[in-house]
Amino acid sequence: MNLNYSDEQNMLREQVLKFCETNYDFIDREKILETEAGYSQDNWKQFAELGWLAVPFKEENGGFNFGPIELTVLFEEFGKALVVEPYLSSVVMSGTILENSNHSNKSSIIEKIIAGEHQISVAYAEPNIGYNFFDCLTSLSTGGDKLLLNGTKSLVLNGGNADQFIVLANQDGSSVLILVDFDVDGLSVQSFKTIDGQTCAELSFENVSIDSESILASGDEAEAIFNKMINVSILCISAEAVGAMNASYMKTVQYTKEREQFSQPISNFQVLQHRMVDMFIETELTKSLLIKATLQLDSNDPEAGNTISALKVQVGKAGRLVGQHAVQLHGGMGVSNEMSIGHYLKRFTAIDSMFGNTQHHINKYQAK
Amino acid sequence: MDIGFSEQDLQFQEEIRAGLNGAEYPAHVKEKQEKGTALTKQDLIDFHKFLYSKGWMGYNWPEEYGGTGWSPVQIYLFLNELAAAQCPTILPFGLNMVGPVIYTFGTQEQKDRFLPDILEFNTWWCQGYSEPGSGSDLASLKTKAVLEGDHYIVNGSKTWTTLAQNADWIFCLVRTETTQKKQEGISFLLIDMNSPGIEVKPIITIDGDHEVNSVFFTDVKVPADQLIGEEGKGWTYAKFLLAHERFGIAGVPVVKVQIDKLKKLTADYNDADLNKKIAELEIDLEALEFTELRTLAAIAEGGHPGAESSILKIRGTEIQQRLTELYVEAAGQYILPYEGPEGFDSNRTPSGPEYASPSVAQYLNYRKTSIYGGSNEIQKNIIAKAILGV
Repeated sequence: MNLNYSDEQNMLREQVLKFCETNYDFIDREKILETEAGYSQDNWKQFAELGWLAVPFKEENGGFNFGPIELTVLFEEFGKALVVEPYLSSVVMSGTILENSNHSNKSSIIEKIIAGEHQISVAYAEPNIGYNFFDCLTSLSTGGDKLLLNGTKSLVLNGGNADQFIVLANQDGSSVLILVDFDVDGLSVQSFKTIDGQTCAELSFENVSIDSESILASGDEAEAIFNKMINVSILCISAEAVGAMNASYMKTVQYTKEREQFSQPISNFQVLQHRMVDMFIETELTKSLLIKATLQLDSNDPEAGNTISALKVQVGKAGRLVGQHAVQLHGGMGVSNEMSIGHYLKRFTAIDSMFGNTQHHINKYQAK
Repeated sequence: MDIGFSEQDLQFQEEIRAGLNGAEYPAHVKEKQEKGTALTKQDLIDFHKFLYSKGWMGYNWPEEYGGTGWSPVQIYLFLNELAAAQCPTILPFGLNMVGPVIYTFGTQEQKDRFLPDILEFNTWWCQGYSEPGSGSDLASLKTKAVLEGDHYIVNGSKTWTTLAQNADWIFCLVRTETTQKKQEGISFLLIDMNSPGIEVKPIITIDGDHEVNSVFFTDVKVPADQLIGEEGKGWTYAKFLLAHERFGIAGVPVVKVQIDKLKKLTADYNDADLNKKIAELEIDLEALEFTELRTLAAIAEGGHPGAESSILKIRGTEIQQRLTELYVEAAGQYILPYEGPEGFDSNRTPSGPEYASPSVAQYLNYRKTSIYGGSNEIQKNIIAKAILGV
């Protein structure tokens, strides 16, 4: 047993930390949020130049062949600075599906992703199916000699900026994953801001013509690839949550040392101290499950799925506790949109809602 | 990073498991443990003597004092196997508390005199720390020891003394000097429980059991060569003792076994709410277990578990208490009949599940866990100061 990060992993962490310190303070981030795209194209270029976009991809596709550990290192640091660049959707989600598919052209698409020139978003959610993504109504059907895609997809992360979409659809009762260009006839894209300062889109497909080459996977294979993508994504946003929890409690400790009431720093008050200790404890316990899930996923342990559910539950509960305590201890400043602290709470709330919330994963864990 | 244990460690685990299932294991102890019947003093002595016969008693001691010299990983696996086999908890007072203090700060003569009997479990130790007026503020203790010739004369009282009714010896924090700073002037004294002037009075806890006691000292004569280290340095030794063996305090392996038991007991209840609470407890336990492994990994590399180990105490006891609540919830109204420490008369048992009455006793008894060993609030003070710097 060895729970140390390698030198290479520590260097990666240092690099991301430095980048965020230089380019990503709260004011920088506010400016990014105001842009049309909702993220910084300059930052994205830098991510590409620094090689970060190559992290999870296999060497044969031009990647670094790193695994879940390196991804969690990146995301922990992203979480501290509340980074909004679409790494999750463009690299992790679409990358995982593409790389595990049999698409003949996948290497060249991945190369473009790594170069920062191409973005793909995965369209999986639909209005009335909750977290049961395979029950989707969006369907691929045969119309004459063509395949036609019809339906609505919602909450497509970074959808407004995507060059292509990977769409989860239903074909005669089995799942298919389809690659679709953003500008095909019959597809309309409507972009929204999200509560936590990111963007998502609503896609509507009306008799969109699909050629069979664009089907990345179907049936059990499609579902297996999709589930793998969900697991890696949960791992990444959990790492992000751990980073955000870390920042939340450290900022709160700092604030209570500086804020004076009753002629003394409010950090002197034991009731506040114990709340901050609770924040620290929850952060560390989440980090523990994160490492366990990461290592299990890394070694293809059959238990990994259960641990991922356990992790998501812990992230949901701990995120709520840490986020709420941080706001509470900042007093009125905590609910001010001009302070970063409330934005962590927003991110925790968003993260809990994604890929199955706390309740969903308790049920899943229980059914193991 | 690598999550697995080495081949040697897994082989070691097999050896322990085989030993615990072997013929030498005291059968009467095993039978009572499986039934959940209370163990007698002799049962506990037999269990510890068994550990000694296997060479496992000094599981966390260095080899030079007769210990196993096991690595932290081996210790972890050993304790896990004990819990999985539903063994009694190893009594910590001699082995984990006074033993390490003696081999670290004691004289050669003291080591020779006390350590072999601790390992062989020829002496039963108890801990004389808390006093009626000194709980969390332990350093305010008042039990007085005055040196007269080659003896200390001890007067005062200790309380919450676990299993003092069985003990041959007590290690005590006593005041040898009244100083400006209360932590100074405290000394660490070993006292024979058979000394004239010692009186042990039972304290019955809310579960009806006799586990703890008051111990009164009236002009008790203690030979001066039973002082550990230097006079006035007792607080340092006490702190060493507290920091020394945090490992295993979380009680993870025992809780795991108890959760599995509860699941089996309630399998046909189809109580969705209870099942959900059990799942949430299991998730919290997984997080705690891996936190313990992180601590273990740090120790294995020669690091020291810092105040982080306070997390193990706080969360471990919270989980233990929640587990007892779930047992009570599962038993429902059948917790009402009170069996007392002696158990029900076998001819007149009340209706309801057999686990009901022990469950509520355990629930009441386990309120102690967040109070003892430095209350959970004190643990939070430690983290606040040492880690958060507030």
